[in-house]
Amino acid sequence: MFFEVDVPKRFEIKDRYDIVVIGGGPAGLTAAIYARRAGLSVLVVEKTLEGGYVNFTHLVENYPGFPKIKGEELASRFKEHAESFGAEFVNAEAIKLEVKADKKIVELDNGKKVEAPVVIVATGANPKRLNVPGEKEFFGRGVSYCATCDGYLFSGKDIVIVGGGDSACDEAMFLVNLVNRITMVQLLETLTAAKVLQDRVLSHPKIEVIYNSTVKEIRGKEKVEEVLVENVKTGERKVLKTDGVFIFIGLNPNSKLVEGLVEIDPYGYIVTDENMETSVKGLYAIGDVRRKNLRQIVTAVADGAIAVEHAAKHYF
Amino acid sequence: MGLLSNKDVAYLRDLFEKELEKSVRLVFFKSEDPARCQYCEITEQVLSELVGIDSRLTLEVHDFDREKDLVAKYAVEMVPALVLESEEGKDYGIRFYGVPSGHEFGTLIQDIITVSKGTPQLSSETLKKLEKLERPVRISVFVTPTCPYCPRAVLTAHNMAVASDKIVAEMIEANEFWELSERFGVSSVPHIVVNRDPDKFFVGAYPEREFVEEVLRLAEG
Ligand SMILES: Cc1cc2nc3c(=O)[nH]c(=O)nc-3n(C[C@H](O)[C@H](O)[C@H](O)COP(=O)(O)OP(=O)(O)OC[C@H]3O[C@@H](n4cnc5c(N)ncnc54)[C@H](O)[C@@H]3O)c2cc1C
Repeated sequence: MFFEVDVPKRFEIKDRYDIVVIGGGPAGLTAAIYARRAGLSVLVVEKTLEGGYVNFTHLVENYPGFPKIKGEELASRFKEHAESFGAEFVNAEAIKLEVKADKKIVELDNGKKVEAPVVIVATGANPKRLNVPGEKEFFGRGVSYCATCDGYLFSGKDIVIVGGGDSACDEAMFLVNLVNRITMVQLLETLTAAKVLQDRVLSHPKIEVIYNSTVKEIRGKEKVEEVLVENVKTGERKVLKTDGVFIFIGLNPNSKLVEGLVEIDPYGYIVTDENMETSVKGLYAIGDVRRKNLRQIVTAVADGAIAVEHAAKHYF
Repeated sequence: MGLLSNKDVAYLRDLFEKELEKSVRLVFFKSEDPARCQYCEITEQVLSELVGIDSRLTLEVHDFDREKDLVAKYAVEMVPALVLESEEGKDYGIRFYGVPSGHEFGTLIQDIITVSKGTPQLSSETLKKLEKLERPVRISVFVTPTCPYCPRAVLTAHNMAVASDKIVAEMIEANEFWELSERFGVSSVPHIVVNRDPDKFFVGAYPEREFVEEVLRLAEG
């Protein structure tokens, strides 16, 4: 049992900042740190919790300097770091972005409008839905996208994990300590996670992996009771009894805010140049929402640094 | 050894020094029967360590099984239960069921500061919406101590209770009260139930405006 004493602070926000960062994940928080170091005022707009997806990650084992750190802890360290340098925060959702000649206006869901010459979009990506019957109905009734949040509610139960990449395997290794049995349903014929992770999953006696398969339907009365699994090669179907379904099948970029404003690739990722600047001057995109090859914490923080370094030189 | 480290105590002393205004009474209900309340003892311990940090905080301990009048007065349902009361003896409708541990300890700290100041930390739009409330609303937020997204849901609910006399808002630790959680079909947290109606719920971390709207929508329907 632990007792977290830190409390979220509240700021009265101003009407104007040098830089407004939308999204307080690792990318956005790093941008805020670099902005403060460059002597610029900065507001981070975050709708849920600073730290972004890192809060969802049980253990991070590939961020330099921390061979093993809880996602939550890393997330709160990022936040504290930015806060200690004087970054300001607001708990709100950015719902509109307007670009005028030399300024940008960010509209928040609480009715406020904030203006800045430079806006950085760091909205990350959300877990992809499976889009099968039962998924929406049973969200919160056995369907989950967050192992650290909900894992304990499945203690001693049987669960299905959909997916076979890094996230799926990572979270499987966390959940396996709590639950009775895990069946992983992977669409491809192998797992795609990093080799060491794959080995851990494959050698675990409580985890079984079903390949070339997907979950077609999630069923139950009050809550999840079973899933319909289909082999995509043979078409063979079977029903698996389960108490919960955890879904880790990739990401959907949160790029809606800039739709029609900047170039977006067919998958929804924002296209930038090597300085992280979009097709609109003074509008940057960093982290998971950006088109790039590797979506990780290290690359998200790097994007944040590069964007602010460029902006500080060119616009202030 | 206390439950709170020296570092935490120093941090809290400093925070209370800066933030507390009026005094706050922590009204705590427990059961002497450990079989009925596995976590009462540890809750009492952490609360007594907490009130020891600042003289404006006091702890009142009551027996849930014997002090029926008080149990009825505060409409407390299960133990461990915690109510926060202002210096003037005002019960804003803030309830904690279960150990306020993990991230929810931070929620408790924040709530104490809010009650001490007597002003809810909500936007003026939210306050306007709450003014229009006619019927009582009960908000139950099911949480786990390890859920980083939960404190904001609990804080919003508790602040709504501070803002409106019509609202009672309770944090419920889902693992501790698993039967209740089961009854409400809680499998993801935060899971927010309105008026204790299992069909009136939503799940997940919502920003203030959406949270308030969702609660009011469910309360009206
Ligand atoms: C289960 C899982 C495990 C992972 N494990 C690892 C790992 O071990 N190591 C590693 O390096 N990476 C890992 N990753 C990837 C890593 O989490 C991401 O690459 C990283 O978080 C990206 O950072 P970001 O700042 O771009 O976006 P995010 O972390 O997604 O943050 C974006 C933030 O923006 C906010 N936001 C979105 N839209 C708005 C809006 N309109 N207004 C206001 N706020 C908004 C969101 O609430 C969110 O907090 C994992 C990912 C998952 C899903």
